[in-house]
Amino acid sequence: MADAIVAEGLSKTFNGSVKAVDGVSFSVKEGEVYGFLGPNGAGKTTTLSMLTAVLGPTAGRATVDGLDVLHHPHELKQRIGLVFQESTADQDLTGRENLELAAALFGVHLRDTSKRVDELLDRLALADSADRLVKTFSGGMRRRLELAVGIIHSPRVLFLDEPTLGLDPQGRAGFWKIVGDLRKETGMTVFLTTHYLDEADGVCDRIAIIDHGKIVAAGTPTELKDRLGGDIVTVRPLGDAAALEPALRALPGVTAVTSQDGTLRVKCPSGDTLIPKVVGAATSLGIGLAGVSLRRPSLDEVFLEFTGREFREDEGPTGTDRAVFLTRVQASRRGLR
Amino acid sequence: MNVRRWSALTKRELLKIVRNPAAIATGLLLPILYLLLFGQGFNFTSFLNSPYLTPDQRTQLLHTYLLGAPDYFSYFSAGMVGFVGVTATLFVGANVIFDKLFGTLKRTAASPATAADIFGSRLVAGSIQPVGLAFLVLGLAILLGEVGLAGLHVTAAVTVVGAAEIVAAILLLSLMFASLFLALGFTIEQPQTYFALVNAINLPVLLTSAALYPWGAMPAWLQGVASYNPVTLAVEVLRIDLFGGAFYPYAAWVYLLGLIGWAIAMFAIATFLTQRALAPKV
Repeated sequence: MADAIVAEGLSKTFNGSVKAVDGVSFSVKEGEVYGFLGPNGAGKTTTLSMLTAVLGPTAGRATVDGLDVLHHPHELKQRIGLVFQESTADQDLTGRENLELAAALFGVHLRDTSKRVDELLDRLALADSADRLVKTFSGGMRRRLELAVGIIHSPRVLFLDEPTLGLDPQGRAGFWKIVGDLRKETGMTVFLTTHYLDEADGVCDRIAIIDHGKIVAAGTPTELKDRLGGDIVTVRPLGDAAALEPALRALPGVTAVTSQDGTLRVKCPSGDTLIPKVVGAATSLGIGLAGVSLRRPSLDEVFLEFTGREFREDEGPTGTDRAVFLTRVQASRRGLR
Repeated sequence: MNVRRWSALTKRELLKIVRNPAAIATGLLLPILYLLLFGQGFNFTSFLNSPYLTPDQRTQLLHTYLLGAPDYFSYFSAGMVGFVGVTATLFVGANVIFDKLFGTLKRTAASPATAADIFGSRLVAGSIQPVGLAFLVLGLAILLGEVGLAGLHVTAAVTVVGAAEIVAAILLLSLMFASLFLALGFTIEQPQTYFALVNAINLPVLLTSAALYPWGAMPAWLQGVASYNPVTLAVEVLRIDLFGGAFYPYAAWVYLLGLIGWAIAMFAIATFLTQRALAPKV
């Protein structure tokens, strides 16, 4: 499969000294959903802006759909779709007028415009509000309109810059369902930036973790999590944790045991087969257990592993948001993968 | 320039104008206030009606000071009609700044539309509107005279060519100032800075033109400055076509040539600045 996006040593320095992106290299295959994951200020949007010819790189080069972003910006803009993190629709125009304008700007043939606009309005559940001014739209409707504007010309590569920022879990899941369906039908490549770990995990084929302008890790979500050394079994002994720790270390398959606040975290390739052995070891030592739980490594832990710090809590959604979102995204996952 | 993109963007600009009457009112406010207040309270006609003046002296004074206009209000209201070409174009630059703030310009700049499409659509939409508004002000000035107030009295036979010259003068003045305000809009980020600059431009432009002052009452140095002021060039065309050109050194087309020069110069500067502002930041 050919590469839809190739970046080689892409860098961007602002005001001669602020290095927003520092020599990032990666490639995205045609039809892939590729996520750029990182906290605010990591360099995600700057990278996306360079790939969409909005910003010129300070160093390095990039091609999108075979076009050099620096030398063919005009042709490039005709082939890509771009959804910004903020609403860019004209609030003094109706939803339909915004789409008609976008159709003209992106070169949709005049005779096809009306049909395409109606089709997108229907698909994105905006048909009933199509002739209302955008200033009366809700946040979710604006996001859907933004997506419609981004895909009005059926782009080969769709760039999404934190597209679900500010949406509730239901809105986010709905948004990804639409993108997933579109991708399934058209085979378009999707490049997205996000700081929602669960979102990247749920919708991306591959992820690059970017921090301080550099890619610190890249791979499929599973690969990244596997690099952590497998599952984590958390053991809460009723008695002395220190007494149990050597016994757990001695169990076959255990790669590491850490203790914190009387709780033991046991790393192993396969947590579900380890649990009976943990229970057995504790029983043989006469130590009762308050609980044993198994966790597959999450992207939070991946981020911690590769950046040396935790993903800031204020960057992502709340725990409840994540739970609701994950439940919903599972339902739409099949459309994306 | 791509015609489809340009026309779609122009349609967008015109829709925004139609849906925002406040912007139109802003453009009309200053000229209308001048007509309704300043013009009514400051009409030199009363001075010229003095019993100490003979009819010949009165005519002489009109010729010297008002270059053939029948009274000061008529002279000054022609100036105000021309000045609409400045005040009604203010919003074009403000719209650019608000489009930056609301992200709309970012979307357009990220599309295949070129700087020429974006600039051209705003220039055309911003220049057409003042022509319509100028005729609205012209109609109001004439109407004031019909209801017993000081009003505009057209004393020359306005020909088709004369009417075309008036339209051309207002259009050229609007093109020039729309270019200037667009250049400011694309260059400046904050609306406060833009409006401060616009105010710093508007009043000096008005006060160094012949829109308000009786020509004969202006000191020679101010006449010299005013001769090159584009507002003067435009209002002189209006006055020649509305009151006759006997007391003007040049024919209307000469003033139009001057306006064309101004419009081209400002268009060139604005095009350069807009292209620079919309180019990918390297």
